[in-house]
Amino acid sequence: MSATSFGDDERYGAALAGLGTGHAWLYRLLDGFAPADAWDAVVAGRHPADPDHRLRRQATSERVARIESACVALGVSVSVLGVTAYPEVLAADHQAPPVLFSIGDPTPLVSWPRVAVVGTRSATAYGLGVASELGQRLSEAGVVVVSGLARGIDAAVHAGALRASAATPLLGVPGGPFDGRRPPSLAALAQAVGTRGALVGEQPPGTSPPRWAFAARNRIMAAASHAVVVVEAHRRSGSLHTVAAADARGVRVGAVPGSVRSPASAGTNELLATGTVPAYRDVEDVLAAVEATIAPTPSIRRPVRSVTPKRRRQTKVAGPSPLADHVRRALADEPASLEQIVVRCGRPLAEVALGLEQLLAADLAQESRGWWALPSR
Amino acid sequence: MLACIPSATLHGVSGRPVAVEVHVSSGLPGFTVVGLPDAAVREARDRVRAAFLSSGLAWPMRRITVNLAPSDERKHGAGLDLPIGIGLLVASGVVPASAVEGTAFVGEVGLDGTLRAVAGIVPLVAALDGCTVVVPEASAPDAALVGGRTVRSAATLAELVERLTSGRGWRPVARRRPAPETGCGVDLADVRGQSVGRRALEVAAAGGHHLLLVGPPGSGKTMLAQRLPGLLPPLESDEALEVTRVHSAAGLSLPGGLPSRPPFRAPHHGATEVALVGGGSAWLRPGEISLAHLGVLFLDELGEFAVRVLDALRQPLEEGKIRLSRARGSVELPARFQLVGAMNPCPCGEGVYPGSCQCDDLRKARYTRRLSGPLLDRFDLAVSLDRPVVEDLLGGPPAESSAVVARRVAAARQRSGPRPWRCNADIPPDALTTAAPLTPDAALLLERRLRSGALSARGLHRVRRVARTIADLDGDEILGERHVAEALQLRSARSTLLPTASR
Repeated sequence: MSATSFGDDERYGAALAGLGTGHAWLYRLLDGFAPADAWDAVVAGRHPADPDHRLRRQATSERVARIESACVALGVSVSVLGVTAYPEVLAADHQAPPVLFSIGDPTPLVSWPRVAVVGTRSATAYGLGVASELGQRLSEAGVVVVSGLARGIDAAVHAGALRASAATPLLGVPGGPFDGRRPPSLAALAQAVGTRGALVGEQPPGTSPPRWAFAARNRIMAAASHAVVVVEAHRRSGSLHTVAAADARGVRVGAVPGSVRSPASAGTNELLATGTVPAYRDVEDVLAAVEATIAPTPSIRRPVRSVTPKRRRQTKVAGPSPLADHVRRALADEPASLEQIVVRCGRPLAEVALGLEQLLAADLAQESRGWWALPSR
Repeated sequence: MLACIPSATLHGVSGRPVAVEVHVSSGLPGFTVVGLPDAAVREARDRVRAAFLSSGLAWPMRRITVNLAPSDERKHGAGLDLPIGIGLLVASGVVPASAVEGTAFVGEVGLDGTLRAVAGIVPLVAALDGCTVVVPEASAPDAALVGGRTVRSAATLAELVERLTSGRGWRPVARRRPAPETGCGVDLADVRGQSVGRRALEVAAAGGHHLLLVGPPGSGKTMLAQRLPGLLPPLESDEALEVTRVHSAAGLSLPGGLPSRPPFRAPHHGATEVALVGGGSAWLRPGEISLAHLGVLFLDELGEFAVRVLDALRQPLEEGKIRLSRARGSVELPARFQLVGAMNPCPCGEGVYPGSCQCDDLRKARYTRRLSGPLLDRFDLAVSLDRPVVEDLLGGPPAESSAVVARRVAAARQRSGPRPWRCNADIPPDALTTAAPLTPDAALLLERRLRSGALSARGLHRVRRVARTIADLDGDEILGERHVAEALQLRSARSTLLPTASR
């Protein structure tokens, strides 16, 4: 599992994964063949799993070298299922990636409780706040936070976990290769997660990921976790793939309820309304689900104080001016547009704008891409 | 044997005087046109000959040479048919030279001898200073808009020859009635709800700021944009003539005579670069930005325009004119327009509410990348529109009408009048300190925004310009906290389009 020494198994295993076949085909390519023999058979056009020679054209020695040098440059190690040492976290899964790429060492994670927190990329301030808090509290409770390193909820969860006081490891499952290009804005976060724990994935660096790769990694997250939490998902969100994958594996799934008016919560609210999954309101609910799955382990540290949100008494917090107070009453947890606030306040735009400006300065309101809401806790 | 008839040809949107010299001599019968004629002018020979025969006039079987002076400038269009024909009649002695003394002719002739209207009659007549101008009857009302010249008209070549030879009086030229004051025919009262959008429109009209409207389909972007000309102050008479000259040069009909309302142009997003900025192979025709001169250019679906086309707007936006240079020559066309852009927040159009967008990152980035950067920077105002609320559509209180808002706009323009710039949007950055002074509170507010990284130095100038206009609308001399706060909100849609924090 050292990143610098590449044997034939690693080298050709990585090259086979780089043919863009998907895990099912890759299984058949490696079935009864050592990676190097499978590669030679594909190149010679006599592999039984490739009777039409569809992979032959891409199977160049240049590709082998490119993937290997990209792995070495990024410090990525390669594990081939059943051939080389393979992380136990995923080894038992029926759809485990035949060839797994990793940064950091995922092996020790097997003794930790693990929870995947996923959600939409276009999240609301509410969702981002909940995700960040969940990440931090789970990490502090000694639970490995698993997420997909996408924008929105995924990024917020890991960012929250990195803020935790305890140094619990983290697991990141990016959809693309580890070269920090998908998406570029999260390269630093991915690196931090890799340092605190591990990144695993089935796309070799040095290649561009096929479109399906981003949906396919959802099964890896589900397979690696004891419970899955969906924070926000719109009606056809990719996070619902994770729910299906977790369901198929008997992994517990829960959803965070959201405003019935928020499209970003339409998918999660539907899961809750149809009774498909239970509601997870806070870290306690999640920990209870984890404990129901695995015998209580000493590594779970229950939070000292309850995290059930205290009733916030909004009227007690005074705004910086009567005008700001008036505008503040028009805000709620769910985001509102400037137009909606102006209508609710019934005052001219100039006054509303000034009120919002004062709230912003006093940290009593927050704005994201033109949408206003009360600050998340 | 020689006749010289004054006429004019079109160069961009202005006319250039042309002297049409016709020489008839003995020799082999023939007809030559020299002096850089284009195809349409060369074909004048066949049209004029047929028109002569149809009108019962004798075609001289002599050697005919036509020179178009100055001979080093390209002439185009069929407007030179008539002066060539008249020159021929004078040179062959049918019409006495004294009858055409000091008279210019512009017009196209048909094979049956009728006189047809030509494009650009207004700039053509304007170029013929100090002459009596004879034009086809159909062009006469437009030609009469120019003023300061005697305009005569005739319907056919035969009629014209008869009037010139017999000395009979001319028919009076029909005058167009001035356009009715309501002009654009749409009223701001029709727009329900949209308090932010309406306010942005008012500020745009008062300060001449370029405006960007961002909203999902059906949120009323087009409706708002169409109502901007109704809020702008009416055109002064010299401005009206300038607008008329451009429209006439483009061959557009001028139904209402001199316009009182600023023009409104809304080209489709399939428009090519030439259609938008002008140009073309035959002659340099004014594009949409010139047709929107002194008015409003509305680009709907801004994200669907080709990148090249949008980039071509940058120079005219900066300078108020467009210089078209081609191998054959170059012209400068006026293009001082107010730009209103409208676009969806993302390709699926639903990305307004957080979490409701279905676009993948790549498509969204490609969509917004088209106008991020220099063009986006030109918009002082950028507001997001919501779909209107049902209650507003089905009743609700009637909104303010265009007339009410236009009065406030006129008052604000009056306050900004004494400043040396045409409108507040033109205030240069170094003059903002004196032209847009801030109260201490307002300065503090801006400083806070700058420190938090939510505002860039360039953004600061734009906010101050807009705040200047808002203060003008309020009748205040110094920019207060509320003016600045409102100006900040009136450009808040930028953040929905920019992927990064660059504001």
